Amino acid sequence: MSDDRHYLDQDEKTVVIVMTSGPSQRHRCATPFYMAAIMASMDADVKLFFTMEGVKLCQKGVPEQLTAMDGGKTIVEFMRDAKAAGVKFYMCRPAMPGYEMEVDDVIAEVDELSSGGELADLILSSDKVLFF
Amino acid sequence: MECNGCEFRPELYYDAEFQIWVRIEEQGELAVGMTDISQSIAGKIMHVRVRRPGTARPAGKPVATIESAKWAGPVPNLFDCTIASANIEVLEHPALLNHQPYAAWIARVAPAQTVEQALVGLVTGDAAWAGYQARCVRDSITCKRLPA
Repeated sequence: MSDDRHYLDQDEKTVVIVMTSGPSQRHRCATPFYMAAIMASMDADVKLFFTMEGVKLCQKGVPEQLTAMDGGKTIVEFMRDAKAAGVKFYMCRPAMPGYEMEVDDVIAEVDELSSGGELADLILSSDKVLFF
Repeated sequence: MECNGCEFRPELYYDAEFQIWVRIEEQGELAVGMTDISQSIAGKIMHVRVRRPGTARPAGKPVATIESAKWAGPVPNLFDCTIASANIEVLEHPALLNHQPYAAWIARVAPAQTVEQALVGLVTGDAAWAGYQARCVRDSITCKRLPA
């Protein structure tokens, strides 16, 4: 009982992770999901919002093939770990045309297609906001 | 008993995905740990953190968090309970979960209702064995037990 680092005391928090990194910076594409899973496991209500190049991670065929490092776990596996921990995924609908994505191209792990205004609402109403 | 090398203990109680096991202890407490399936998926476990003893945990709120180099996630909780104690040995040496997943319990909890009521939503015995094998086959899980 004396070593506090072993114990969890956090209250429930709301966290938004804004994922702007995509396949052009693959080394930045695993840790946000890992951190999201940890925070969700610590009672945080975690929402992860894909925008800018981050939407490419939601395109069928991309996260299944992408790894943050050679020989590592695929990004979709990190995404599924976060989902299993309770993280909700939102994707920026206005970003889709810039990456020539259609609704049918979006992976099943995405919970909602959202507007920029909905991202603004999430940011303004959350306890913590992280950008990757 | 084992499937794809993953050990199974028929006397324990399990969640539907066989992430955790639950064992009846003395004084109305239940011990909670990770299955061989879970430790195989996680890989070498580097950090374990448990909700502070005395904390009430409603069903659905994790008992602990687990981190390996490639996986992070909760130790799920399926019934209302209060954390009674944490296994200090596991907190100090998390890889024990990889070496001895059924001996290395993570936390002991006191269920809010009776032990029997707490275990209603879990599976055990033959039904658990069938489900355990199905999970191993469905997700192509093979045991990756680390040597002690």
